[in-house]
Amino acid sequence: MTALTWGLKRLIRQPLRTALSLAGIAVAAAMLLDMVMLSGGIDKSFSDLLLRRGFQMRLTPKGTLPFDTEAAISGAAEIVDALRRDPAIVAAGAVLGTALYGRSADSLVTLFGYGIQPEAQSLYQVTAGEDLTAGDTVGVLVSEPAARLLGATVGDTVTLVGRLDPQVVTAAVGRRLLVRGVVRWLYDYRGQPSVGTVLPVMQRLAGQAAANGASLILVKAHDDAEVPALAARLRERFPQIEVNSVTDLVRHFRERLVYFRQLSYILGSMSLIVAVLLIATLLTIAVNERLGEIATLRAIGVSRRTVVAQVLAEGVALTLAGAVLGIALGLMTARYLDAILTSFPGLPAAFSFFVPRAGSLALSAFVLLVTGSVAGLYPAWLAARAPIAATLRAEAT
Amino acid sequence: MMKPGSLPILLLVAAITGRPVAYLCAQRPGAQLPAVAVERRLAQDLSLHVGDTVRLGTAPDSMRMLAIVGAIYEPRPDPAEITRDERYVRLHLPDLAALLGAPDRVDRFGIGLAPGTPPDSAVAALEQNAFGYRAYSSASIASGSSQTFLVVSRFHRAIAVITIVASAVFLLCIMLLKVEERRMDAAVMRFVGVRRRTIFGALLLEAGLVAAVGSAVGTGLALIAGAATNAYYRRFFDTALTFSLITPGIVLFSVALSLALGFAAGAAAAWRLVHTRPMVLWGRG
Repeated sequence: MTALTWGLKRLIRQPLRTALSLAGIAVAAAMLLDMVMLSGGIDKSFSDLLLRRGFQMRLTPKGTLPFDTEAAISGAAEIVDALRRDPAIVAAGAVLGTALYGRSADSLVTLFGYGIQPEAQSLYQVTAGEDLTAGDTVGVLVSEPAARLLGATVGDTVTLVGRLDPQVVTAAVGRRLLVRGVVRWLYDYRGQPSVGTVLPVMQRLAGQAAANGASLILVKAHDDAEVPALAARLRERFPQIEVNSVTDLVRHFRERLVYFRQLSYILGSMSLIVAVLLIATLLTIAVNERLGEIATLRAIGVSRRTVVAQVLAEGVALTLAGAVLGIALGLMTARYLDAILTSFPGLPAAFSFFVPRAGSLALSAFVLLVTGSVAGLYPAWLAARAPIAATLRAEAT
Repeated sequence: MMKPGSLPILLLVAAITGRPVAYLCAQRPGAQLPAVAVERRLAQDLSLHVGDTVRLGTAPDSMRMLAIVGAIYEPRPDPAEITRDERYVRLHLPDLAALLGAPDRVDRFGIGLAPGTPPDSAVAALEQNAFGYRAYSSASIASGSSQTFLVVSRFHRAIAVITIVASAVFLLCIMLLKVEERRMDAAVMRFVGVRRRTIFGALLLEAGLVAAVGSAVGTGLALIAGAATNAYYRRFFDTALTFSLITPGIVLFSVALSLALGFAAGAAAAWRLVHTRPMVLWGRG
């Protein structure tokens, strides 16, 4: 009979105690898994979101992050042309983000507008209709929420209005546009009504035409390995612009959400401590109860190593069973916790805090297994040093 | 909040990362320079002192305004700002408008209502005439801007529920094992004629005592952890905000929960023990 079988039999003999211990280890394992997912999920999710279309760099006004402020890069067209001539760059496209209005029946609805260069964009996926072309100055793309607000669908005409002037009670600029397609904007929060036109049209609506302004410029390099060197070169070439690689942006984002990462470390550590205490307490009491049995085994020639292996195997069996339950429980609670955190206002709908990955599952299982083994060390040591004769004499009386 | 008809002396806030951008520049102080108030952290970052001259602009290549640092101020602690790496400088409204090249334009007005005027009806009246602006009551702005913290609060509550479940299971387990350890004692007491009720009471009392001592130790640990959390995050974010607040209500709830769980677990385990035959408890059954 193997040590593991012995361990399992011992656990089955005490069903209530084993069930409670398994429940405790499962909750601790679930918490550990959730915290491992949280600690790595933020970076992974954000990085995946930024690299969805392969653009590895974002150029923004000096000192800003994309869409963090209303600041704009002046002379965007010239900068984009210069970037496109760079042999290390595959594609570059400017984007302007601005608040604007859409006419719906007799009222105005507030929208968010993207000015894009369709030949180099990474902001949306077309879900119905067709994409804009580079010179399409009469077309507009709308998100589902914007289409609902405007009461428009593909082929309809909508009126967009920019720069309302309260003093003269009129819009400084308006434009009738044809809905070419319905799109899903990758960085929009849930329910955000957004529309997109080619860059010059949005610049006119936002009053950025004269300055040729853009909120950011997307850059795709030939090779991922070239990105750090290219970023350094662009910083020298355009000192008035902030050059961020996806790695830089992930680092900034991580700094903003540092609280969640630290919380995940603290709660993950606490889960491990609870698991260690639970397993160690259970095994210590079990060993104390079985001292007579252990002494008898030793007296009939069972080696000290076998006794230690039995105690350790009991701990590992308990941990394994608890970990299996805990992983199932952890995946369920992660979905619940993710639903809470992704309701942060302004967070892209495609973003997740808890990302289940094979790596995080394996790491949690491995850490738990090590924890279970470590927790069994003290009771195993107690079992190994039990005095045979004295214990048997005490049992007999 | 600016009262209607009062002079536009409301200082506007400008982020260094937005528009305009402020930079330190070694300039000869002039006589008629406008004064600005600089946030303490920005003053530290740029080694600015009251009386220094700074150059301001809307972009790094158009730093066209000179100003005197008139004051260095400590901003009111704001949880919405702690993770943002932005620095602020305050200008008089006409100076900022001149810098932006946008005279007579503002982002928002603050309106003080006459006593007795309901904010909602004032908002509705202003909205009826709205063109190019929207009116909000202070309450609705507070509600909107607190959404982030409501989400964090919901997350904390969810984590607290999981922690309570884990603690409850842990406590049940420990109590069960603790009482199980007393099998021999219980057997001997039963052999010498001690009543089940007395044994049950003794075990329950012991469980309660363990839970009470555990609660006291736990409260002490929580106070230490809370103080450490506040000290760490205040230093980390350079703020005076309170991150961990342990109120008497929280302590009472936690202690009551621990005692209830301790007694319940002890009672369940003791009941099981006193209803087991003494010979079985003695290991000969």
